[in-house]
Amino acid sequence: MEDKYKAAGVKRYEELEHPSDVGLRFRGRSLEELFQNAGEGMFSLITDMESVEPIISLELGLEGESSSYEDILIAWLERLLYHFEVDFMLFSQVLVKELIRSKNGYSLKAVLYGERIDRKKHSIMEEIKAPTYQFLSICRDKERRIWEGTVIFDV
Amino acid sequence: MYDREKYTIHRISDYKWEVQMDRTLGMEVPGIIFSDRKLLEHARNENTIGQVVNVAALPGIVRASYAMPDIHFGYGFPIGGVAAFDPEDGGIISPGGVGFDISCGVRVLRSNIEADDIKDDIRDIMSLISYAVPRGTGRGGGIRLSGKDLDGILSGGVDRALGMGYGFKEDKEFIEDKGSMDDADPEYVSQTAKQRGSGQLGTLGSGNHFLEVQAVEEVYDAGIADAFGLFRKQVLIMVHSGSRGLGHQVCSDYIKVMQRASERYGIEVKDRQLAGAPLDSPEGKRYYGAMACAANFAMANRHCLAHRLRHTLEKYLGQSAEKLGLYTLYDISHNIARWETHKVNGDSRKLCLHRKGATRAYGPGSSSLPPQYRQAGQPVIIPGNMGTYSYLLAGTETAMEESFGSTCHGAGRMMSRSRAKKTIDGSQLQKDLENNENIVVIADSMQGLAEEAPQAYKDIDRVVDIAVRAGLSKKVARLRPLGVIKG
Repeated sequence: MEDKYKAAGVKRYEELEHPSDVGLRFRGRSLEELFQNAGEGMFSLITDMESVEPIISLELGLEGESSSYEDILIAWLERLLYHFEVDFMLFSQVLVKELIRSKNGYSLKAVLYGERIDRKKHSIMEEIKAPTYQFLSICRDKERRIWEGTVIFDV
Repeated sequence: MYDREKYTIHRISDYKWEVQMDRTLGMEVPGIIFSDRKLLEHARNENTIGQVVNVAALPGIVRASYAMPDIHFGYGFPIGGVAAFDPEDGGIISPGGVGFDISCGVRVLRSNIEADDIKDDIRDIMSLISYAVPRGTGRGGGIRLSGKDLDGILSGGVDRALGMGYGFKEDKEFIEDKGSMDDADPEYVSQTAKQRGSGQLGTLGSGNHFLEVQAVEEVYDAGIADAFGLFRKQVLIMVHSGSRGLGHQVCSDYIKVMQRASERYGIEVKDRQLAGAPLDSPEGKRYYGAMACAANFAMANRHCLAHRLRHTLEKYLGQSAEKLGLYTLYDISHNIARWETHKVNGDSRKLCLHRKGATRAYGPGSSSLPPQYRQAGQPVIIPGNMGTYSYLLAGTETAMEESFGSTCHGAGRMMSRSRAKKTIDGSQLQKDLENNENIVVIADSMQGLAEEAPQAYKDIDRVVDIAVRAGLSKKVARLRPLGVIKG
């Protein structure tokens, strides 16, 4: 997948400069892919993704509350952080199977692949407290035909 | 995104600047920035002044949107921001004015140990402490709490921790709010937040959190130092931590609640992170109740960390913590909203003070201070960075008049994390600090160490100097790290 992005001259995700915290720009050819790359991008700030094997899988669903793509993105990243903090999980691959906008709001279904934190194997580089609404954006780059998003994490 | 450079700044003194009130920018009050020309320029370039302006536009703000000398770019409020809101005047409460790490703060334990007495043992001591104090995320090691005990900590704070056998009962007197904020209601804290916090009591966390063994290197005010129980070369222990995942989640949960509330109450905010609700609204009260729970958790967290520290030193030095004089000098948060009574135009008014990256600094005579400190003023703990100094200051009368009894909270970041990571080698930094400065540094992540490098922060001496020259605090003592455990 990375190759296709490289061919298009863009990265799936990259760290952004921020005066005090940490920013992430992420891209995707679809909204599902955009959300996947946001999730994987967040974990790439936390640990070396190469060190995380996809041994455990976890299904996840989000429903309710969110009333925009930005809102459900925050809810999605918060949920991933929850599994990191409460279940001690690191995820190297996330697959967003469904991202739906309906009259009842926004919902998402995903499968996460990763393993439990093993301090001998995984270096934890950053503690992310929360994704924030500052500079939060999701937009479509019509020229390049990709979705692009930005989020700042409080660390 | 911000009204960059649309505002006008006047010099009031070399250390106090006014952002002129401008209704076209939505400002209700002026901005007051305690800074010198150089740091002000930095804040301007980072566009942090725009955040001061945005806060000045919030409903019910009283007198001014303040910024302390360590001001830097935050989300919503600037870090170093202080604002008071009046419920009688439609004043609001905003999670963005407190921050994600609710009641992030500092506790200092004093001792009767002299630095020279442990200078050959410092590496062993730091190593033992590093085993006793869980740090970093995703590691566990905290005190596991049942649902009932967690609720007890959320509603009772340090009181409950004392009941569980942690700490000294004398500690309470020396903690802001005596270790327990009123109106804390665990009902208002989500299950997700509780789950995040349930295994994290007594853990340090990471980021800029740390634990240091320090020595008093210089005493500036002998009278106040005496009141605080300080002497030259004395060993102190400083713990910098907060409410961990529980507090982060409370903030995340209520930013969502407040965005809906802002719309409902017709509060226009220039930044979603500034969303808030009137203090007397159901949403405002619920947030206050949940935030107070997180603050209680944070104070109990530092209390349990102190307990673990005492235990470790008792074992290593073979004496009781009482014998070693390991008593709490003070414990204060620098991310909080709390009810305080202040004089405004000669009248006493009950206001909700927001301090985000700012420390309460009550002057002499305040009845909320323990009797031992009442003449001296409140101890203000300014954690510096690992390579230089930390400071102990005292609150002043001037702070009461000029900044609602507030001052700075630390050095304040100067270099972005990504730049620090790129330009600083964590392992080399660790070696340099050990070899050149004689400071033992224990850290899990060299990248994390690089991000917290001394050169990534403002010059602490300069920040403290501005706070002192602006009259917001008195210098009491300068503390030098002997050993650092980086969270």
